[in-house]
Amino acid sequence: MTATAAGAAVNPLRKGLTVDRIADPCNVIFFGATGDLMKRMLMPAMWNLRLQDILPTTFGIVGFSRSGDGDEQFRDDMRKAVDEFSRTGAATEPLWSDFAKHLAFVQGSFDDAKAFDALREQLEKNDRDLGTGGNRLFYLSTPPSVFAQIVRQLDAAKLGPRDNAAGWTRIIIEKPFGTDLDSARALETEVAKVFDEKQVYRIDHYLGKEPVQDIMALRFANVIFEPVWNRRYVDSVQITAAETVGVEQRGGYYDNAGALRDMIQNHVLNLLALVAMEPPVSADADSIRDEKYKVLRAVRPIERTRVTLDTARGQYDAGAINGKPVPAYRDEPDVRPDSNTETYAAVKFWIDNWRWADVPFYVRSGKRLAHKMSEIAITFRSLPHRLFGDAGDTIGNNVLVLKIQPDEGVSLRFNAKVPGPKMHLRSVSMDFNYGTGFGVVSAPAYERLIGDAMRGDATLFTRWDAVETAWRIVMPILERWQDATAEEFPNYAAGSQGPQSSERMLAMDGREWRKI
Amino acid sequence: MAEDLDLESSTVAASVEAIRAELARGKLATSTLNLLVWIDDPARRDWIRERVGILTDKHPSFTLIFDHTGVQHQATVTTSPRDANVNVTVGAERVEVDVSGERAETIAAYASGLCMRGVPTVLWWSGFQESSRPIFAALLPMIDTLLVDSSGGTRDESAMRALAAFHDEHPDVTLRDLAWLRLHPWRDIVAYFFDDPAATSELASIRKLAIASGSESEALYLAGWMASALGWRASAKNAFTAIDGNTIAFQRHRSGDIRRVQSVCLDSDTSWYHAEVAEDAENVVRVWVEGTLAREPRLVPLQAIDNASLLERAILEPGSDELFETALRSAATLLG
Repeated sequence: MTATAAGAAVNPLRKGLTVDRIADPCNVIFFGATGDLMKRMLMPAMWNLRLQDILPTTFGIVGFSRSGDGDEQFRDDMRKAVDEFSRTGAATEPLWSDFAKHLAFVQGSFDDAKAFDALREQLEKNDRDLGTGGNRLFYLSTPPSVFAQIVRQLDAAKLGPRDNAAGWTRIIIEKPFGTDLDSARALETEVAKVFDEKQVYRIDHYLGKEPVQDIMALRFANVIFEPVWNRRYVDSVQITAAETVGVEQRGGYYDNAGALRDMIQNHVLNLLALVAMEPPVSADADSIRDEKYKVLRAVRPIERTRVTLDTARGQYDAGAINGKPVPAYRDEPDVRPDSNTETYAAVKFWIDNWRWADVPFYVRSGKRLAHKMSEIAITFRSLPHRLFGDAGDTIGNNVLVLKIQPDEGVSLRFNAKVPGPKMHLRSVSMDFNYGTGFGVVSAPAYERLIGDAMRGDATLFTRWDAVETAWRIVMPILERWQDATAEEFPNYAAGSQGPQSSERMLAMDGREWRKI
Repeated sequence: MAEDLDLESSTVAASVEAIRAELARGKLATSTLNLLVWIDDPARRDWIRERVGILTDKHPSFTLIFDHTGVQHQATVTTSPRDANVNVTVGAERVEVDVSGERAETIAAYASGLCMRGVPTVLWWSGFQESSRPIFAALLPMIDTLLVDSSGGTRDESAMRALAAFHDEHPDVTLRDLAWLRLHPWRDIVAYFFDDPAATSELASIRKLAIASGSESEALYLAGWMASALGWRASAKNAFTAIDGNTIAFQRHRSGDIRRVQSVCLDSDTSWYHAEVAEDAENVVRVWVEGTLAREPRLVPLQAIDNASLLERAILEPGSDELFETALRSAATLLG
């Protein structure tokens, strides 16, 4: 048998299989177990991990929620959720019944100490009956307002790591981690009282998407990109996370959040960090997260006086998406009729380090835009000399586009000669598509991330120092926007490219956004 | 090289030119591979053609099917439509030629005359008929990857034996076997027994391996894989010797449908590990352990990997598969 550096024996039969290591036997406890995220994403993810045989040999899944009525009802609800939302289709027998035996439910309020005692008893029962070995992964898929309360209750009920000598204890915390810098720090203070940083998995599901993980592979597993990945060759970088959906059933939450908090502070800044970071010394979690943190630290804080110049905000008006009329944001359920919340945010960032000095990073995210599209576009500098004279007048800059969704792939735009007797040039595109390139469909991000957390791999989760720094970056903008009512709202039609102010922001630099 | 063959038959040259002319009408913009397909079993003809179709619908490729079944009596040329209004267009071209009664040199001339230059060439060889050997030999110089299915049409070990011999003689040709690729879920199930740190050390004390399958390739590959992973050496047709000198008895038993594994059982000094296809659900495996490390039975989905996906994986993965090749070599030593 071979052994790891830590001395644990490695199963030699795992070589060449899909996963290197199956997680230890454990319980996964979902708070907010009757919520929408649980039904649409989390339970289908657990079921598909089971179908792929990635769940450990013995496992327990415990749902905890204010509403709900016992194990059987929970199992029935989860079966319906899997039938409706699983990417692999409806659950089948006898596998579902075998899986459902591992599901249990604890009903209780998050401020009810007795409910947490009942949870502890259920977990101890699972340890005895299922052999889950005292290992526990708590998943907070609740409204952020109760995160700290749940952590305190876990500690009070002796469910925290210091009271669990038998196995490991970890916690996954959904985004948003705080609503501003102060609240994030306050939450971190509560979490850190109970959990060490290595036991905390702050989830940003964007990081679980295959194309996002491929950013590092593209950069650090190929020799041709890294030499030109710097200020000498790169003119600018655009990061776009555009959605066609509105606030759906989340009007109440979203109206207190907005695009800057909901997308830029986490998803988009994580993408920026992956694109701009230096090569890590190794592929382990902390080496990668060290480099991401260093880049975020190098992002120049936007002075309050420059907020109006270097940012743009918008709120959608009524319009049409795919030909169907949709209401204005202020007419959405649970949204204030005079809301000042932005549904679109664009920011110009500068990274003050040796590699990226003077290269603008334009980022934008918005709802109810023309198309769903997430991508990173790296535009290279213009030619130093136009060899082909007039024939080259129409040629464009080279652009490398990393497509995240809905298309997943890489595209490179370069210039080529149009066939014919004249030296006439035109931009053409060379495309790579994951679906056809590898012949497999990417698994949803939650499957990857829950599996990683069970195995103790934190690479794709966000460390506190990065969360805190990301809040520092956006705080001047948040404060300026909160102070100044956006009299122009609503300022873009649903189904459009976004507000004019965003276009102007780039036009001032002689650039323009890529079309959504 | 096949390109240097003298075309004795003007008919061949005319056919190649006619097909080239047909292809030129819808010129393929890019092609990532040439896929040569040999079919000599009428029973599997439609099955193979369908899988090839699924693959070439997704990948820009040039496919040349040599139909030696006598079912088709002409050459057909198919080019996939390309729509200028869509962003991603997969352009594939497919030529099917009835080569019944054709000489090996003629068939090789078709291949060398029509295949695109500068892209890898994969040969899916679906036949192991003795009479096809000269054709195989004629095509061999122009291929980069050989794809076979050693349990595609035969339950016995003859195809596996031929494959092992081929690999010995031609180590430079990248080899793929669908029979090996189909075993991925079973390898996962067997590995799963020993993921628990308490059970990993059990691998050193395995004394017996018993495999029931509908054809021999599956049992031989699984045994070869375990042997190469654990350092066992074949000491007889039905036994291995472990690194510590202990003997591991190997039993294989023919049971169930061709290409399917029915059960894998392992005995260690302390425990018995069982994985068996469930009686009431053919895609579910019942797994349990008896003895010191006893575990309650649990059900494991036997992930259904469709053959088109296997084919795709076999063709798209570049380079040699070291794990497969060592498993094949280990299996070959059992065959003697």
